[in-house]
Amino acid sequence: MSGRIGLFRLPLIWRVPLAVSVLMLLVSAVITERVLDRLGSIQETYLQSIANSYLDGVTASISPSVLREDSWEIFDALERLRPVNTAIVPVETIVTTPSEIVLAATDPLKYPSLEKMDDLHVEQFPDKQIRIESGDGLAYLERDIDYQDTTIGRIFTIFDARLLLAERRDVLSTLILTNAALTVLLVLIGFMTVRWMIRPMQTLENHMIEAAEGKAARIDVSSQAPGNSESRRLFMAYNSLLDADEERRELSSRLAEEEKLASLGRLSSVMAHEINNPLGGLLNAVDTLKKHGANATVRDASLDLLQRGLQGIGEVVRAALATYRPARQSRPLSLSDFHDAKMLLSPELRSRGQELELLLEGGEDFACTCPSGPVRQAVINLLLNASAASPEGADLFLRAAKRAEGVIVEVGDRGPGLPAKAVKLLTGPARKSLPEGKGLGLWVVRQISDEIGARLELASRSGGGSIVRIRIGPDTVTEINHAA
Amino acid sequence: MTKGHRSSFAVALSRRRFSAGGACALLAIASSKASGEEPPTLRFGLTPVFLNNDIQLLDALKLYLEAATGHSVELVTRRTYQEVTSLLVSGQLDAAWICGYPYIQYRDDLELVAIPAWNGKPYYQSYLIVAADREAQTILDLRGDIHAFSDPDSNSGFLVTRTLMFEHGLDPEIFFRKTLFTYGHRNVIRAVASNLAQSGSVDGYVWEVMLELEPALVSQTRVLRRSEWLGFPPIATSRKMAGTEKNLVLQKALVEMAANPQGREVLGMLRLTGFEMPQEKVFEGIARMVDRLRGVL
Repeated sequence: MSGRIGLFRLPLIWRVPLAVSVLMLLVSAVITERVLDRLGSIQETYLQSIANSYLDGVTASISPSVLREDSWEIFDALERLRPVNTAIVPVETIVTTPSEIVLAATDPLKYPSLEKMDDLHVEQFPDKQIRIESGDGLAYLERDIDYQDTTIGRIFTIFDARLLLAERRDVLSTLILTNAALTVLLVLIGFMTVRWMIRPMQTLENHMIEAAEGKAARIDVSSQAPGNSESRRLFMAYNSLLDADEERRELSSRLAEEEKLASLGRLSSVMAHEINNPLGGLLNAVDTLKKHGANATVRDASLDLLQRGLQGIGEVVRAALATYRPARQSRPLSLSDFHDAKMLLSPELRSRGQELELLLEGGEDFACTCPSGPVRQAVINLLLNASAASPEGADLFLRAAKRAEGVIVEVGDRGPGLPAKAVKLLTGPARKSLPEGKGLGLWVVRQISDEIGARLELASRSGGGSIVRIRIGPDTVTEINHAA
Repeated sequence: MTKGHRSSFAVALSRRRFSAGGACALLAIASSKASGEEPPTLRFGLTPVFLNNDIQLLDALKLYLEAATGHSVELVTRRTYQEVTSLLVSGQLDAAWICGYPYIQYRDDLELVAIPAWNGKPYYQSYLIVAADREAQTILDLRGDIHAFSDPDSNSGFLVTRTLMFEHGLDPEIFFRKTLFTYGHRNVIRAVASNLAQSGSVDGYVWEVMLELEPALVSQTRVLRRSEWLGFPPIATSRKMAGTEKNLVLQKALVEMAANPQGREVLGMLRLTGFEMPQEKVFEGIARMVDRLRGVL
């Protein structure tokens, strides 16, 4: 078992040639076995045909004598017909009556005439088929002597097939040796060839492993496979893939930046609106001061108006600044961040006639180590998304709660529920690349959540709608905290 | 049949096979009386009974006879005694080397031309042989054997043993488990040596000479019983061809063979000392056995 595991752990550049070698060995073994089997049957046929021709001659010659039961004539014929220059030589031939009474044999001492042939001896002769005893190299064959469709006797012959068997052994050893030598040679050639052929794959594999480890490097096409156009194309394709991936990364970060700017643009317009709203009143107050500044009541009222108007503008500017403050200037999250978010969203909500309920738990000791900037950005994006998904006049909520395990932020809407793509985007496996089409806001939420080590959860809201929950653990990024 | 016999004979020759009749052969003399014209060829019949290299022997015999008689000679061979005897009696052969037993059987139709002499005498014996390591002492110990005879028309290879059994009151078909005819004395020795047959009746002349030529084969057998001395297989002709010119020159060629170098060469191959003029009394022993078995066979 461990050997198998060890084999599987071998690199591809060894495994494939080894597999090819094993296959070649198997093929060679099968072919050798087939050839030997065929040789065996050919030799058996050859033996059978020689034996048959001998018996044909003997039968033709002795039939009349068998009919007369003339032992001498049969004996004489057997002596005369004994072949000497063939691959198999009959050692013993016994001619009997149909009831196996010996008429004559080449060795009358062993098989006396007129005696019944021993059952044991008869059993050595299978029915009409030659039987080769590989142990002593003898072959046994029995033949009926027929005359006018009647069996008048039987011939039992034992042949010496040692020459033939020795020949088979010679062929066997020659075949095995030659095959083994050829197989080893071919396996060696096959091994080297396959190794050479899959070397580009190994190079590719190494580069891909490095790429997976974040150390992607282009393959030097000119030095790796100078003459092999196929692997050259493969390497070039890999290099193109790397380039495309690089471009995609750049595009993604640029798009993310643009998305930030886009939301900034939207908020800028909100800000301009918020500034513009009191601006008219402020300018009127200034005019009033110019004309009726001497009147203390008017002056105080106008100044009060100016102060409140400017405070309003100041809050808007502060909220915007806090949201887009660079990371190094970030401070820890606090409840004011959620107030700011509500305020930044209020024009958008107002235009749609929607209400946002702010549910804050934890009071002023809402101390959290997590940075405020990314959380604010994520919350604003979630609120924008919730507002867009909900119908006009819907009631939304933003909840922030301090718990022992960290901070929980929830945004509830009255929309039809998040589409599958959005669910995957928020809670599926992390992906660096941008999603196709809409949903950039949610993608940014996911990116932020991954960056600060927060977890996103989805839930249904009672009475219709969805809740997106951000769980911020106690061990979130603290570097920003220190910086703050 | 003829072709088959010829081919088997050829094989037998090439293996130096001895034939049944020991040295039965007959030299026939052409019947000039009948035709008025002598045929140019002398047809000489032989049973497959030879020593040494059979083909060489046939060639040497043919050459000698042609040189000594002045006739071209055709040697006619057959597998069994009966075939040769039939050809001879029917006049299809001028002469033939036959066995003493058919000579006695057809004595009225045949005339002797010459008798071979072995060790200086026109006699030989019949041997009853068994495997060399067998402990049998008499023919009575051979009960239940498979017994190899040479030829039913052979004196030494059948008649002698058959007569002996008759004298002991034995029936070969009952006494022996089985009897074989091997149509050759050498075959009888082979059958007994190989144990195909446990005993056999064989020409003593052939056994002795083969002991010298093929000791490995023959020494696997031993002689259980030797018969009395009997007339050596003679050369005979049909009575109607006796006295013709061809027959006379043939007789002269045979009798004078020992005096001729070429003839002595042939006699050397046959391990014979020569040929003698015919003497009827030589075959009295065989005639007695035939008489004794008359009505039995």
